[in-house]
Amino acid sequence: MPALRAGLIRVIVASFLLVNGLFPALWILLTSLKTTIELRRTPITWLPAHPTLENYVHAFTQQPLPLFLLNSVIVACFSTLLTLFVAALAAYALVRLEMPVRGLILGFIIAVSTFPLVTLLVPLFEILRSLDLLNSYPALIFPYAVLSLPVCTLVLMTYFETIPADLEHAAMVDGCTRFGALRRIVMPLAAPGVFTAGILAFVNSWDEFLLALSFNSDPRFRTLPVGITLYQGQFTFPWPEISAALVVGIVPIAILIVVFQERVVSGLTTGGLKG
Amino acid sequence: MRRRLADPSDRVLGVLLLSPAFLLLGGIVVYPVIRLIGLSLTDLDLSSGLPGRFVGIVNYVGLWSDPTFRQTLLTTAILTVVTVPGGMLAGLGLALLANLAYRRKWPVRLALLMPWAMPLAFTGLIFAWFFNGEYGVVNDILRRIGLPQRIWFNSIFWSFFAISLTIIWKSSSFVALVLLAGLQAIPKELYEAAAIDGAGRWRQFRAVTLPLLRPAIAVALIFRTITALQTFDIPFTMTKGGPGSATETLAMYVYQSTVDDLALGRGAAIAIVLALISLVMSVVYMRQIRAAA
Repeated sequence: MPALRAGLIRVIVASFLLVNGLFPALWILLTSLKTTIELRRTPITWLPAHPTLENYVHAFTQQPLPLFLLNSVIVACFSTLLTLFVAALAAYALVRLEMPVRGLILGFIIAVSTFPLVTLLVPLFEILRSLDLLNSYPALIFPYAVLSLPVCTLVLMTYFETIPADLEHAAMVDGCTRFGALRRIVMPLAAPGVFTAGILAFVNSWDEFLLALSFNSDPRFRTLPVGITLYQGQFTFPWPEISAALVVGIVPIAILIVVFQERVVSGLTTGGLKG
Repeated sequence: MRRRLADPSDRVLGVLLLSPAFLLLGGIVVYPVIRLIGLSLTDLDLSSGLPGRFVGIVNYVGLWSDPTFRQTLLTTAILTVVTVPGGMLAGLGLALLANLAYRRKWPVRLALLMPWAMPLAFTGLIFAWFFNGEYGVVNDILRRIGLPQRIWFNSIFWSFFAISLTIIWKSSSFVALVLLAGLQAIPKELYEAAAIDGAGRWRQFRAVTLPLLRPAIAVALIFRTITALQTFDIPFTMTKGGPGSATETLAMYVYQSTVDDLALGRGAAIAIVLALISLVMSVVYMRQIRAAA
């Protein structure tokens, strides 16, 4: 029965992969559904005895979770749009135009935008402080656009390369300007690429912690990871609210990767890299 | 089909299209780095309210005898040496397991994507909860199988252990995704040919899989090493650098110097040392890869 045995091995291996990948998120979900009393009981329970949403109510009412959520959404959306705009123009130029130093320019863009973020923290902190821009949205939007620039440029370049230049010629013969052709012909055809790049940029911004903690520590401007990390309890670290807030922070990302998993994987492996 | 458009006005258009990227990189990276080098040569300390004076290499000399710098450098080195090979091996293992012929591909793919997409700070918080001395699931499992439980974060060794395990878990999925793409690009015929030549599983792995996976491994390795040198989120959320400052990393020292102490001169010098170490590591790897190719 070798076929049966191979099938059994596959089931066991797949279960292992699923537990490895999903257990932490699942555990925090289970934690968030337990009552405060149950969370203070030892030995601990695995499944919530009386599932409740009280931790979510507390996370939304006693902690400024809605504000942190809003800040994260604003920063992630604007930085994603900015990086897509910048990367799309650069990628188009690099793919389509006759340039003597194409490789050098691409190398420069990638090398510079992957410069260690920790290193940039020091001068950016000083510059933002002197411009009175600490605790503001632009303080994060611009650095995050740089963070995603290499991935987005590479992903968009691979998509632009698949679009025949003749289509643009035809549009230009019909009276379209070069820019009009880019907007009306190239961008719609490259839409899947733009979308993939956008998801990667969004996830990058959603996840970033160090700069958000350093630049926007004022409670009004904290993003989700910073806000949750700095939750204060009256006596101890407030795990009930934290677990609920973590679930709220994971859900948007989980939806993105469930719905667009093939795109995300292809973007990651063609475009390269992310922490 | 011509791929490129030939046009005399391409130069102008090229400059126009590339200028947003150059403006962004100039403003966020190039100018700040120049400023950083300048800062590292001053004694600027914003908490004193005095303007920074030029002091030459005093900040760098100061690092040499600074016990916190040595400590954080050592911590970063330990975490890099443990988690880079650990994450690479775990990632290779996951990729090989994920490459079996499953009927449905999406559950396994999702299981690899989830740790990648999970924010590092969230991962740190969740694993801190796992390793919680009183209510942690790790101690609960140990209790059930009859092993001694621990207060993980009271011990330097076990704090390193918990942090390293968390980083390996988080980073291995990205490595696995990159290596899986590499594995799937290897033609099946090569394995068939190797099998006909009498090569067993292990021999096939050594003679076919590993050599062909080399470029993907190199990419993942460079990327992992550079991110490991910048480790911040996970120790910050799990131990805040404790016990004492045993698990404080270089990146955490840069943060502390800059944001908490406002000692920008010192922060800048540490940041430059960190950037130089990353640069040297990338160059060393690049050379190795070129030499091997």
